[in-house]
Amino acid sequence: MGLAADLLDDARHLAAKGDAEDRDSCRRRAISTAYYAVFHLLVEDFVANWPFADQRARLARMFNHQRMRDASFTPKDKKTPTPVEAQVMDVITAFGQLQGDRHRADYDMGWKLVGTDVANAITLAETTFSKWHAVQSNDVARDHLLSMFGAKR
Amino acid sequence: MQMYLPSAVTKQSEIQIAINEVERNLAPDVVRIRYEIGEDWSGQWAIFFRIVLTDEAARRRLREVAGKVVWGLAGQLDFPAMGVFAYHNFRSVSEQEVLQEPAWA
Repeated sequence: MGLAADLLDDARHLAAKGDAEDRDSCRRRAISTAYYAVFHLLVEDFVANWPFADQRARLARMFNHQRMRDASFTPKDKKTPTPVEAQVMDVITAFGQLQGDRHRADYDMGWKLVGTDVANAITLAETTFSKWHAVQSNDVARDHLLSMFGAKR
Repeated sequence: MQMYLPSAVTKQSEIQIAINEVERNLAPDVVRIRYEIGEDWSGQWAIFFRIVLTDEAARRRLREVAGKVVWGLAGQLDFPAMGVFAYHNFRSVSEQEVLQEPAWA
């Protein structure tokens, strides 16, 4: 398994430990780890296509969390996106949600976390993996990943 | 210096109409939806939806119901055009009963 898949697995374990031991720290780490699983899913996919294996780690470090979140995407027909566009929009929405939740989990000690917050983060990460795997070779998805990297249109 | 406010601030009746419709369409799973507009962790304007679900929906069908809520709201509200990013957080009726947070009531 790659790092992204391992992190998703870790997020599940942390969520289960948080439930079993009623530990807020594990719940927070579960949410944070779910975000990083999705972050690395996208980064790994991008750098895997770079032909020079020895440069991939450096390339991966160029990804910027906020720039990834802010990369714009508009379907050709806003009212009726194609199935692939809809999947990409789901990935974008989930990425932003997980990123915001990750920030709160790591820094907002006033956030009263509940089990549903953790379950939602794990669920979102899992569905994002499935959706991304379904569309990752499509031009629309590849184009958006390039935008997340920071390429201008 | 003028402060920038997203257009979502002036579209609160439109937002409430969309919320009412999603609540109606997804009842009884969706008990209520509250929201506020503010800045997120990065300083960007955002709309934060707080969605209370039945215990059964939260426990057994979270993926399905949450997806319907997100798509239902996005289908009626053009968040990018409103200048906001949308966040959706969910909790069950039982969880809210324990926490008693006014923002979710």
